[in-house]
Amino acid sequence: MNLIVNGDSHNHEGQGAIEELLREYQAQPLRTAVMVNGEVVPRKAWDAIRLREGDQVELLTIAAGG
Amino acid sequence: MNDGLRLGDRVFSSRLILGTGKFSGMSAMLGAVRASGTQLVTVALRRFHPGRPQDDLLGPLAALEDVTLVPNTSGAMDATEAVKAAVLGRELSNSPFVKLEIHPNPHHLLPDPIETYQAARILVKEGFFVLPYISADPVLAKRLEDVGCAAVMPLGAAIGTGQGLTTLSMLRLIIRDSTVPVIVDAGLRSPSEAAHTMELGGSAVLVNSAIAAAEDPELMARAFAAAVRAGRDAFNAGLMPRSETAVPTSPLTAFLAGGAK
Repeated sequence: MNLIVNGDSHNHEGQGAIEELLREYQAQPLRTAVMVNGEVVPRKAWDAIRLREGDQVELLTIAAGG
Repeated sequence: MNDGLRLGDRVFSSRLILGTGKFSGMSAMLGAVRASGTQLVTVALRRFHPGRPQDDLLGPLAALEDVTLVPNTSGAMDATEAVKAAVLGRELSNSPFVKLEIHPNPHHLLPDPIETYQAARILVKEGFFVLPYISADPVLAKRLEDVGCAAVMPLGAAIGTGQGLTTLSMLRLIIRDSTVPVIVDAGLRSPSEAAHTMELGGSAVLVNSAIAAAEDPELMARAFAAAVRAGRDAFNAGLMPRSETAVPTSPLTAFLAGGAK
C-alpha cells in the first residue's frame, strides 16, 4: 500500500503494522516516535492500529537542539 | 543535597543546563556536556532519516551518567503542535521534563506568550514538568507559575544572538517575585553574564550557542560551569551593600603627616 512517510511517498509491503514500517526504514522502535495523520500514536498503542492506504506517517527521533 | 536546583520532583546539583544544538559534531557536543558537569541537556525532535544515523542522540546521551534529557517543542507553531511535540518527546526520552518553546516567527524567534500559556496548562495537567521559554515578562512568568510550571525560563536576549542580559531589569523583577526556579535561557554570550545572572539570584542558566559556537566548546563549557558556580556562591554569600560614598578599608589615623612627631 502507498503511504506518505515523512513527507515522501512510500510503498509499504506489509500488512500496515507500525513495527513492519519501522523495519522497512531500519528505524529502532525504542528510538522512534510515530504520528499518523497528525495524531501521536504512543508506543503502547502500536499493535492496536493498522496503517491504511494514503495514511500520512511521521517517524521522529531525538536530535540536537537548544 | 545542599543548595540543589529543584525542578519538579528532582533535585540537581548543577545549575548549568546545556543545549545540544549547533555543535560541529557529536564528539564536540559530548565533550562540552561532560566538561560542563551539567545534569540536564535539551534536545529536539527531528524526522527520522535512515541515511543520517548521526542525527540520533538518544544512544550517545544515554551513555552519559547522570544526564537527564529535556526534549523541546521547537518547530511548534501553536499550543496544539507543542502539546503533540511534548508527547512525542516523552515517548522518546522517557523524561518528565519538557522545554516548552513556541516561537513561530523565524526572524526573531520570540516566544508566543498566549500559545505558550495555553500549552503549559495542558502539559501540566498531562503530568509534565513544564519549563516554558518566555520573554522576560514578569506578569506572564507569574501566570505560568500559577498554572503549575516547574520553572520559568525568561530570555536574556533573542536565541543565538549573544547579546547578553538585555532584559536585565525585567529579569530582576521575575527573580524577585518568582516562587519557582528562574532559568535564564537564550542570548548569553560570555560566562560573566552567567555569573551575573546567578549573583542576582537566578536559579540556573541554559546555554547553547555560546558554548557550541566557541572556538573551543569544551573549554567554554568549563568556563561557564565555573562562572555559574561562582555566581551562585556569591549569591549565597550575600553581596555587600552599595554606598554612595567611600568607606575606608584601612584605618585613617594621621600618623604620617603632622600628627606623628
